[in-house]
Amino acid sequence: MAGPALIPAGDFRTSYAADTTIFPTTTSRNFAIVGVLLLCLVPQVLGGYWLSILIQTGIFSIAALGLNILVGFTGQISIGHAAFFLLGAFTSAYISNNAPIPVFFAIPIAGVVTALVGLIFGIPAARLKGLYLVIATLAAQYILLDFFSRAEWFTGGSVPASAEPFSIFGYSLRGDRQYFYVVLAYVVASYVLVTNLMRTRDGRALVAIRDHYLSAEIMGINLTKYRTLSFGLAAFFAGIAGALYAHYQLVVSQEGFGIERSILFLAMIIIGGTGSIMGTLMGTAFVVLLPETMEFISLSLKGGAIDKALSLNNNITFLREIAIGVIIIAFLMFEPDGLAHRWRQIKAYWKLYPFSH
Amino acid sequence: MKTKSLLSTASLVLVIAAFSASAQAQIAIGHLADYSGGTSDVGTPYGQAVADTFAWVNKNGGIGGKQVSVDTNDYSYQVPKAIALYKKWSAPDSKVAAIMGWGTADTEALTGFLAQDKIPDLSGSYAAALTDPEGTSGKAKPAPYNFFYGPSYSDSLRAMLIWAAEDWKAKGKPGKPKFVHMGANHPYPNAPKAAGEAMAQELGFEVLPPLVFALAPGDYSAQCLSLKSSGANYAYLGNTAASNISVMKACKTAGAEVQFLGNVWGMDENAAKTAGDAADGVIFPLRTSVSWGGDAPGMKTVMEISKISDPTGKVYRPVHYVAGVCSALYMREALDWAAKNGGATGDNVVKGFYQKKDWVPAGMEGVCAPSTWTDKDHRGTLKVELYRTKITGATDGDLNDLMAKGTIKLEKVKTVELPRKPELLGW
Repeated sequence: MAGPALIPAGDFRTSYAADTTIFPTTTSRNFAIVGVLLLCLVPQVLGGYWLSILIQTGIFSIAALGLNILVGFTGQISIGHAAFFLLGAFTSAYISNNAPIPVFFAIPIAGVVTALVGLIFGIPAARLKGLYLVIATLAAQYILLDFFSRAEWFTGGSVPASAEPFSIFGYSLRGDRQYFYVVLAYVVASYVLVTNLMRTRDGRALVAIRDHYLSAEIMGINLTKYRTLSFGLAAFFAGIAGALYAHYQLVVSQEGFGIERSILFLAMIIIGGTGSIMGTLMGTAFVVLLPETMEFISLSLKGGAIDKALSLNNNITFLREIAIGVIIIAFLMFEPDGLAHRWRQIKAYWKLYPFSH
Repeated sequence: MKTKSLLSTASLVLVIAAFSASAQAQIAIGHLADYSGGTSDVGTPYGQAVADTFAWVNKNGGIGGKQVSVDTNDYSYQVPKAIALYKKWSAPDSKVAAIMGWGTADTEALTGFLAQDKIPDLSGSYAAALTDPEGTSGKAKPAPYNFFYGPSYSDSLRAMLIWAAEDWKAKGKPGKPKFVHMGANHPYPNAPKAAGEAMAQELGFEVLPPLVFALAPGDYSAQCLSLKSSGANYAYLGNTAASNISVMKACKTAGAEVQFLGNVWGMDENAAKTAGDAADGVIFPLRTSVSWGGDAPGMKTVMEISKISDPTGKVYRPVHYVAGVCSALYMREALDWAAKNGGATGDNVVKGFYQKKDWVPAGMEGVCAPSTWTDKDHRGTLKVELYRTKITGATDGDLNDLMAKGTIKLEKVKTVELPRKPELLGW
């Protein structure tokens, strides 16, 4: 949400190129490049657990990025995102199991297939607004999930489908250490792609629709086209993320991808900051880390004095779920602009330190 | 004085040395438990039993002098969580000797990985697809590292259908009896569906289209109305107890006259207490020869194990707890054999399961049903003991009293010994 209001006084741009630059300074660009290079070293340093957390964050952040195009940039809403994620996972597993196509190509194909299905669901959704749109996307969630549980040829029905490990031309990758690079490559590519998308004519059209759809229409923006396109794009990234997830887990199951996962995707972008690309990554990291942290806390509570005093026993599990809910609510109350906003404030604070006023 | 302090120091050193030695040499086991998911009603007593049993084993000297470190995790019956845990358990630096698994969906998802990493898994899933170690029957994928204690879901259903056919004849009703399969669209209730319907056809039942109801308790009046209008006589309930109760209660209200057939997880004393008279007359297979407090020499061991998590000894343990103790003790003996014959590695543990015939874990005589596993056939037992719930009054109050007074009773109906047909392996 780096709107013009946040540009400080005296910061003039004299060319269009300067106005649409991704990184405001050379230092920030170098920081980003160094950050990616440092991430390349991570598998050599970190163990299995942290690596799996990073991989999950990477995969979910791609899906959340897709949702952010739809919610944060176009001002639409979807509570069926998890179904598209799952569609990508099943499609990629199906293609790589049944066709002589290596997984390397199956992942983008799954993205395209999911995008096409997303466009179909986008057609009615593009004509609806507000609560009606919410219900329409809810229908997408249920229709797709029901399809998955019945289409045995495609998903194996209720039995989890198996997916091939990541491979290209007979060379297959095994283990988290190598797969991390695949996910990292996809994350970098997706984020660069979407950042650039927002600098194009089409990207600006999406933002215009979000800010005031009537004005946008008067200016000649085809509302239906761009809203449908936005659904397609959201589904595309969900499909890519789902496919990556399938070949990471090597098993695709419907479980855990119901409506609650769709809500969790929304939580990621709301916590991170709607309409912020950087915030998407932060929000995803937050949502992935939160249950892990709570798990850690509940484990250390187990058998301790507090556990005994309150006789929590197995209820610690439920306590964890409650705590996650409470933290999310607190976040929405005290940090409504998301982590991206907080991050900008921290940066501004240190930039001006010690004379912030 | 001096000698005394010297002695105490020496003994302290010895104790510390012994402690650190035992801390180093441990046998690691992964334990998947469902305390908060779709099957938590039965997953809780079973998971508690597994945890209690290994704590009891540790208290009594461990396995081959080594302590067992059990990594118990509540995975909420979700496949992705189970796979994340499995990744941890199969990593080279933290590899476990065996897994005490749980659900059908996650166990079937793990089957291929287990074979690859050579980790045996004794699951709470009794899906017949897990019984074919070599995949020779062609009905299921090979599952060489999967075990479970008890008759498979399919074999239990076959036994109940045999009983149902006799029941129909005994009652002298006209026409063909109608059979319907009910359960969630989930691997666990679906596991015996095809096998059961084929058997029903063979026995002369008319097979009705299956009815779906969710794993969680809910309002299932619609299902009961379809059940009633279809005129079904025998209905298999594929879900766990809490969800099945919802159906039985709704069907009692709807006035559907159906004989319900439960699966091994489909009925227990807690469920009967909750359902009250709606649970009266349900037929279900019991995996152990006796239930809690039953007259068997092995019950003493079960009571002792129960005291690990209930020092008062007053809590009534449902059938799933007793079955959990049996499962964990079979695993203990397989681990024990492995530890004595080259170390507790996956392959040795699997061999440990093959050592004995008609095998009952030590100290569990008369409780666990004798089981035999071979490298060609992982159907531990084909003997199905069918029981019927009998409820004679209000089921308020303490479960111990209700059972003692006989308000809730589990009556033995029939023992069906199915032939070990090779063509039914894995189905």
